[in-house]
Amino acid sequence: MPQKVAIESWDPDYGVPSTEQAEEAEVEIDVGVEVPEQRWAPIPAQIEQHPEALLFIDGVRRIDANAWLEDGRSPVRQGMFASFAAGAVRVVEQAHVDRVEVRRTLFAPGNPEAFVTRAGTYEPFGVATPGADALSSALQECLGDLEVDVAARVADNADLVVVDGPLYRRQHLPCTIGYVKTHRVQYLKGRPLETIAALAESERTPVFRFRTSWTRHAWYLRLPGSKAHAWSGVVRLEATADLALDETVSLANRTAAVLPRYASKPHKDPRAPQNLYPIAGLERELRRRLGDAVYVERALRAAAT
Amino acid sequence: MPETLDTLGVGRVLGTDDATPLSFWVALGPDQYLQLDDVVALERLLPDGDTVRIYGLVTEVRARHEGARFDSDVFLIEDGILPAEVSQAAQILATRFEPEVFVPPLPGQLVYKAEGDERDMALYFDGMQKRLPAGLTRDDEPLYANLEFLDGSRGAHVNISGISGVATKTTYATFLLYSLFRSGVLGGEAINTKALIYNVKGEDLLFLDRDNSELEDEDRDRYQRLGLPPGAFDSVDFYASPRRDDPVAAPDVSTRQTGVTSYFWTLAEFCAEGLLPFVFADAEDDRQQYTIIIHNVVAKLRDAAEGLPDGGIAIDGETITDFESLARMIADRLQDDLTSADWAGRAIGQGTVNAFVRRLFGAVPHLKHLIRGNVTNPDRHRIQRQAQVTVVDIHNLNDRAKRFVVGVTLRRAFDEKERAGQQRPLLFVVLDELNKYAPREGSSPIKEILVDMSERGRSLGIILIGAQQTASEVERRIVANSSLRVVGRLDAAEAGRDEYGFLPAVHRQRATILKPGTMILSQPELPIPLVTQFPFPAWATRASEAAPGKGNDDGDDPFRGLD
Repeated sequence: MPQKVAIESWDPDYGVPSTEQAEEAEVEIDVGVEVPEQRWAPIPAQIEQHPEALLFIDGVRRIDANAWLEDGRSPVRQGMFASFAAGAVRVVEQAHVDRVEVRRTLFAPGNPEAFVTRAGTYEPFGVATPGADALSSALQECLGDLEVDVAARVADNADLVVVDGPLYRRQHLPCTIGYVKTHRVQYLKGRPLETIAALAESERTPVFRFRTSWTRHAWYLRLPGSKAHAWSGVVRLEATADLALDETVSLANRTAAVLPRYASKPHKDPRAPQNLYPIAGLERELRRRLGDAVYVERALRAAAT
Repeated sequence: MPETLDTLGVGRVLGTDDATPLSFWVALGPDQYLQLDDVVALERLLPDGDTVRIYGLVTEVRARHEGARFDSDVFLIEDGILPAEVSQAAQILATRFEPEVFVPPLPGQLVYKAEGDERDMALYFDGMQKRLPAGLTRDDEPLYANLEFLDGSRGAHVNISGISGVATKTTYATFLLYSLFRSGVLGGEAINTKALIYNVKGEDLLFLDRDNSELEDEDRDRYQRLGLPPGAFDSVDFYASPRRDDPVAAPDVSTRQTGVTSYFWTLAEFCAEGLLPFVFADAEDDRQQYTIIIHNVVAKLRDAAEGLPDGGIAIDGETITDFESLARMIADRLQDDLTSADWAGRAIGQGTVNAFVRRLFGAVPHLKHLIRGNVTNPDRHRIQRQAQVTVVDIHNLNDRAKRFVVGVTLRRAFDEKERAGQQRPLLFVVLDELNKYAPREGSSPIKEILVDMSERGRSLGIILIGAQQTASEVERRIVANSSLRVVGRLDAAEAGRDEYGFLPAVHRQRATILKPGTMILSQPELPIPLVTQFPFPAWATRASEAAPGKGNDDGDDPFRGLD
């Protein structure tokens, strides 16, 4: 019996747990990488030449529909149709969306088959364990892979590559930093923590190292904008620990010199200033490339009957 | 945006705006552009396998940032902070469907520029048996009008609107005449076809027979592209009003010394032809009591006046040689108890007589040099339409006198045509300031003639090329009867009026910014008016442009050929 698909009539977003990559709290922090802990103080931005080529990389995802699959051999399984896209904005004098990759995938336990609709073909992706959480994690993983893929294709001749979110599996790319907007975990305490609160616009903290299952260098940077509370406008930047210290410091200085220029204003973006303009623009473009959600859902339903 | 586009295509029909059979938008491909008035074509395949070709004109072009949400995003985009792309799109108004299956083009369909035969198809030039060159597009492609809508076969008359000074109404009218006479579109008839032009402003039209010395080579090329030999009008007679108080009636012109004849009417003609009504502005207005008297006096003069050799008259043995004396004589007869019943008619009140007399005397100072009986050989001063083009200069005259001259000459032309009973050869009449002669309100002899001309001229072979600043002030029937409507620069308030309903909204807007030398031409076959340019006049429009004469001047000018 061929694969039979029933589209769940509920809104696909309903009841989907947040699967933002959980940040790990069990970390070992070394704050004495750039300067000893006692000398931690805000570091103002150095005047630096604007990089010739700057890249921003981001991805978006959308669950198009939840579905029930049946193939006559195994029991009915829960599947998920999702569209996701990753792309890059290249800034060389002007900012342009450089490369966009869109994928449509059917996530399901076992070995689902490709699903053809008039909105495109959903490629199958087998998930090891059943359950909504596993599907969602698989989607997140696929999106991460796609972002890595896009970054690898475009990152070659860039002076600075900013990846939205933690660095996560992209640490091997040259001049690449992870850009973390939200702070679920406080890594620092004591004088370093006070340093974050003391940051003025475009100032950064010294570089520190944190180690869990992986090791990374990181620093905090305050973007321009009203300082409503101690952490407003603060972002965490991550770089690979494979770089030499002076290269890392130079990368940190470059971010402090370059990124504040791209900070958004609150009347244009509710996530200002952390949601950088190029990334916001890229996300809009990527969402557009995912296609109209209503149309895609209709196409899925049409193909399922 | 499409990465590549077929080499011929300029863009694709876009799907974010409605595409209708009448109007649709085209997104332009990278490195492609369309400008206003470009002609495009596309093909749509119908489900039954037939192909419909849709032709259209670009009426609007827009460019915008895609990816911007706020107006101020433009600064971020220019600074390289926000990613965005510039997209360009052109609005097309459809002109033609071949075959006539009125379906919209489908989004995504390739659109290309129509050139050559396709352009002729789009603009219906292919179906025009007789194509009158009517101007050029901005890229110097010829535009045509269908002569059948001008020569009376299917329609007639031209109406031109536009602000004085910048709309170049008269120049376009003369260009049309030049094109009629020289393009060969009239065939063998061209020689016998005549034109009567009234020069209402300046002395612009007094050099039609002289080549324009300021014509540049590139303008010559534009004439060639239209199939017209650049040059002056071949055969032109110039008539100007006589100088006031000049006993020999020399023409009242300042820039041209020779080749201009003065015109006036003898008292004998005035009486015999019954020209008195033209002295009064509102002679046909039934609300006016005194108009009864006019008709009585006309009849009386026709009976009583005997012509004298120099154009004077004798009435009851009294010799009259000037208009003022005639007016006084008429006044005396009307006011004298013995003759008044005879001249004014029965039971005419004293007040009515006074109203008539007051108006008659009011006209005397303006008309006395035009109606006279005191110049020898008056036949020389009669306006004869011998040459192909007859220019009658009225720019020095008071409004009342202008109306008299235009009224009388048109009436004469009309009567002659009516008598001849033949539509061909055609007579073209060019008259600016129509609002003065045929205003929307009121009634007058000249308005009646113009309305008659616009209604019957088509069959009589009199074609009116009328012009005015504002069509809204001109008698509706005259504008409505014009097949070709032309609009030059309009002021914004005027452009919004109903009279210009034949212009799509975009064209109305454009009419407010048209430059001299650019007109919008609407003709019955084309659903959309064409924006057309006409070349710089190849004939002189002022003394400084006039190349030395071509021998059309009077033979008695000893200084001919010298500057």
